Amino acid sequence: MNQRQPDPGDQVKVLLFASLREQAGWSDRCISLSRQRVFSAREIWDGLDLGELPRMVLVAINQTIVSPDHPVHAGDELAFLPPFTGG
Amino acid sequence: MGSNPVDLEIRILDQSLSEGLQLETWLRSRAVSDAATAIFMGRVRELTMDGRPLEALELSHYPGLCERRIESCARQLLEQHSARCALVLHRVGRLLPGELIVLVAVSADRRGPAQRCCAALLEALKHEAPFWKREWSQGVGTWLSSNTPL
Repeated sequence: MNQRQPDPGDQVKVLLFASLREQAGWSDRCISLSRQRVFSAREIWDGLDLGELPRMVLVAINQTIVSPDHPVHAGDELAFLPPFTGG
Repeated sequence: MGSNPVDLEIRILDQSLSEGLQLETWLRSRAVSDAATAIFMGRVRELTMDGRPLEALELSHYPGLCERRIESCARQLLEQHSARCALVLHRVGRLLPGELIVLVAVSADRRGPAQRCCAALLEALKHEAPFWKREWSQGVGTWLSSNTPL
C-alpha cells in the first residue's frame, strides 16, 4: 500500500465521517494498493497515520458493514464510521 | 412461511420538515385502512448534552448506506411486530433548537404492535443508521459519541 499516483485501477476510495473526518482533516482520499498482496480494512487504516483503529468504529466496504479484518480490493469504497448518534 | 407485504416511506431531508403536511399525506394515502397508528416526533433540545445553551445541531449521514440500513431495519421490525406501514422522516444539515429532527409513524391493526414497532424503529434509527450529531455552543462544535438515554 502506498500513496503513489495514480493508477485508478488499483485504488481504493477511503471515506471518513464526523469526528474521524475532523481528526484527520480530510473526508475522502484515494489510496493505491500494492498488487503483491491483499490488505484488510484495518491495515489500510493503520496506513492513514490516525492511531489505532478505535474499537467503536465500524467499517463499511461498498456500503456494507463488515469486520475490520475484511479484505479490501481495488475499486472498493472503504468507509470508517464513528458510533451512530441519529434519531 | 410467507411474509406480509409492508409499505415503507423513508426520507432524509436537508430542509425543515413540514411534519403536519407530510404526516397527513402519509396517513391519508397509506395508513387509512389500519386501525392503529403510533407516531413519534423528536425535536432539537435547548441545551447541549452537558447542559450549555445550544446554538444549533448539525446532523450528517452516509448517503446510500443510511437509507438502506433504515429500510432493512424497518422491514424486519414491521414483520416482527406484524405491523404494515412505516413512515420515517429524518433531517440532516444544521437545525435550530425546537426544530424537528425525526418523525416515525407506524400503523398496524392494533395499538400494541403499532406502539412497539414505532419504539423499536426509533431505537434502530439511533443505533443502526449512520447519522452523526454535532452540537454547536458558543461557536464551538462537539461531535456526540453516544445517544441520550432511553
